[in-house]
Amino acid sequence: MSARARRGGRHFLRRLWKSGVPGAVLLGLLTFAMLLPIFWMVSTSFQGGEKMFQLKTEWFPSPWHPENYPNALSRSAFGLFFFNSGVVSLIVMTSNLIFCTLAGYGLAKFRFPGERFVLIAILSTLMLPLEVTLVPTFLVIHQFGWINSYQGLAGPLLIDAFGIFLMRQSMLTIPTDYIEAARIDGAGELRILWQIILPQCLPALAVLAVLTFRDSWDQFLWPLTVASKDEFRTFPLGLIRFGDDYGNPPTEQMSIAVLATIPTFLLFALLQRLVNRGFGLSGLK
Amino acid sequence: MINADLGSTVAKPSRAGRNPAAGRVRASRKWLPRIDFRRRIQLWGMALVLPAILFFMVFKFGPMAWAVGLSFTSYDMLSAPAYVGLENYEALLADTVFRESLVNTFVYIAGSTLLITVAGLALALAIATGVPGARHSMMAMFLTNLMPLIAVCLVWRFLLHPHGLVTQLLLPFGIDRVDWLTDSRIAMPMIILVTVWRFAPYFMIVFLAGLLAIPPDYYEAAEIDGANALRRFWLITIPLLAPTIFFVVVVSALLSARIFLMPYIITGGGPGNATRVLSMLIYETGFSYFKMGRAAAISVVLFGIMMVFTFVQMRISQRGEQVYTA
Repeated sequence: MSARARRGGRHFLRRLWKSGVPGAVLLGLLTFAMLLPIFWMVSTSFQGGEKMFQLKTEWFPSPWHPENYPNALSRSAFGLFFFNSGVVSLIVMTSNLIFCTLAGYGLAKFRFPGERFVLIAILSTLMLPLEVTLVPTFLVIHQFGWINSYQGLAGPLLIDAFGIFLMRQSMLTIPTDYIEAARIDGAGELRILWQIILPQCLPALAVLAVLTFRDSWDQFLWPLTVASKDEFRTFPLGLIRFGDDYGNPPTEQMSIAVLATIPTFLLFALLQRLVNRGFGLSGLK
Repeated sequence: MINADLGSTVAKPSRAGRNPAAGRVRASRKWLPRIDFRRRIQLWGMALVLPAILFFMVFKFGPMAWAVGLSFTSYDMLSAPAYVGLENYEALLADTVFRESLVNTFVYIAGSTLLITVAGLALALAIATGVPGARHSMMAMFLTNLMPLIAVCLVWRFLLHPHGLVTQLLLPFGIDRVDWLTDSRIAMPMIILVTVWRFAPYFMIVFLAGLLAIPPDYYEAAEIDGANALRRFWLITIPLLAPTIFFVVVVSALLSARIFLMPYIITGGGPGNATRVLSMLIYETGFSYFKMGRAAAISVVLFGIMMVFTFVQMRISQRGEQVYTA
C-alpha cells in the first residue's frame, strides 16, 4: 500500500470520527450496557417462575406472564406498604422543600452574627447520617412515643443538610439588588421570598424534590428499626419479607420492584426540564 | 421574568407609594417593639435558619452527643444505663468481627470513592463530547440512580448468581462459573461494582456541570498553541475541575461510609464476615442483641472515620488549590 493511500485512509478515519457516528455508537453501547439490569428486571417480572434459574436468560418471555403482577400484589399487603411509603415520602419531600428553602435563603442572603458557623454546623451534619446515629435517634423517637407511626418514620428525614446547601448555592446567584429594591418598595420578607426568589429557584427545587423523594422512598434501615407493626411497614420491608417467605416466586418479587420504580421515574420525567437546569446542564447540547 | 416580577411589586401604588422607608413604617406598628431596619433584617435571617437548627439539634447533634454518652455505658433499654467506662471500646478492640468490619469499611470506602470518581468523570467526558444522542444517554444512565435501592440490590443479587447473567455474558471469554458472592475475595469487589453502577451516573452529572462551566476559549487557545488532547486534559480540565473533584470525593466517601443495604441484601455480610461493614454491626449489636452501649461505641468509631476522611480531604484540597493558584 502506498504512503498516499495510507494517508488517505487515516484521513477517512478522522473524518468518520469527526462525523460523530462512531462516538454515538460507542456511547449508545455503553448506555445499553448500563441499562441491562433494568431491562432484566422488567423482563423477569413477566417471566414464568420456573425459568428464573435456567442457564440461559430469556430476554423476551414466552409465554408472557402479566399475571405475576396481580399475583404478587395479592400475596402480601403491598397496597398498604406502597401507601405508607408514599405518605412518608411526600411528607419528607414537602418538608424538605419548605425548610431547605427557608434556611437556604437565610444563609444565602442575610448577614447575621454566627452565620458562617451555622453554615458549617449544618454541613457537618452530613457526617451524621441515620446509619451512624441509629441507636440514639431510635431512643429520641421512643421518647416522643413515635415508634410505629408516620411521624416516627418521617421525623428524622424532614430536613436534609444537602438540600439546604443546594438551595443556598442556587440563591447566591440571584442579585441582592432585587431583594433590596423590593424591600424599599415595602414588600415583606416572606413575600420577597415567594415572589422574587422562588420563581428563580425552580430548577434547584425540582432537583431537591426528586432527590428527597427518592431518598425517603429508598429508606430501609430506619423503617426496619422503627416500624415493627405491619400497619406501618414500607414497601422495601414488605419486599424483603416477601422474598424470604418460602414459595414466593422471585419473578413476582421483580414485579413489585418494577412497580416501585415507577414513582421515582415518573417524578423525574415530569420535572426533567427543570432538573436539567437545576443540575447546571442547560449548556448541554 | 425577574423584571416582570419586580414590576408587579412596583406597580402597586398602595404599598410602594406610601413611604419609601417602609421598614420604619412596619416597625412603628403598635404591637411590635421598635427595631431598626438593619437589626430587623438580621433577625429575619436568624428566624429563617432557626427551624433547621432546632431540627438538627434534636435529630443530629443531640443523638450524636447521646451516642458518645451511651458508649460509656451498658444499656439494654430495660434497665437504666450503667456506667462501665471504656469497657465497650475495649470489647470492640478484642472483637475479631469488629476488626474485620472496620477493615471492610475502609476497603469499601476507598474502593468505591476511587472508582465512583474515575467512572463518573469518564462518563462525564464521554457525554461532554456532544456526540449525537449524548443528552439522551445521560438521562438514561441517570435512571440507575433513581431506581429504588432495594430493587437494585435484589436485581444484582440475581445477576451475580453463579449461573446468572454476569456469568452468561462472560462465557464467550472462557469464564465458566464464578462464585461472585460466595468467594470471600470476590464478594467485596462485587459490592463495590454495584455501588459504582448505582452512584457513578449521579456524579457524572456533577462532573458534567463542572465541565460545562469551563470556558471553551481555554481549549481553543491551547489547541492553537499545539497542545494535544491529553495535555489539554491534564493542564486545563483537571486543574479547573479540582473543586468539583474535591466535592465528589468527599460526598462519595460520606455516602460509602454509611452503606448498609447493599451488603445487607446482596451478601448478608458474608461469606463469613467478608462484606460486613460497621453500619450493619451497629444495627445488629443494637437491635438484635440489644447492646445499645456497644452499638453507640461503634457509632462513635464510624463517625470518627467520616470526620477523618473529610478533614484529610479538606487539607489535601487546600494544598491543591495553593498549587494551582500559585
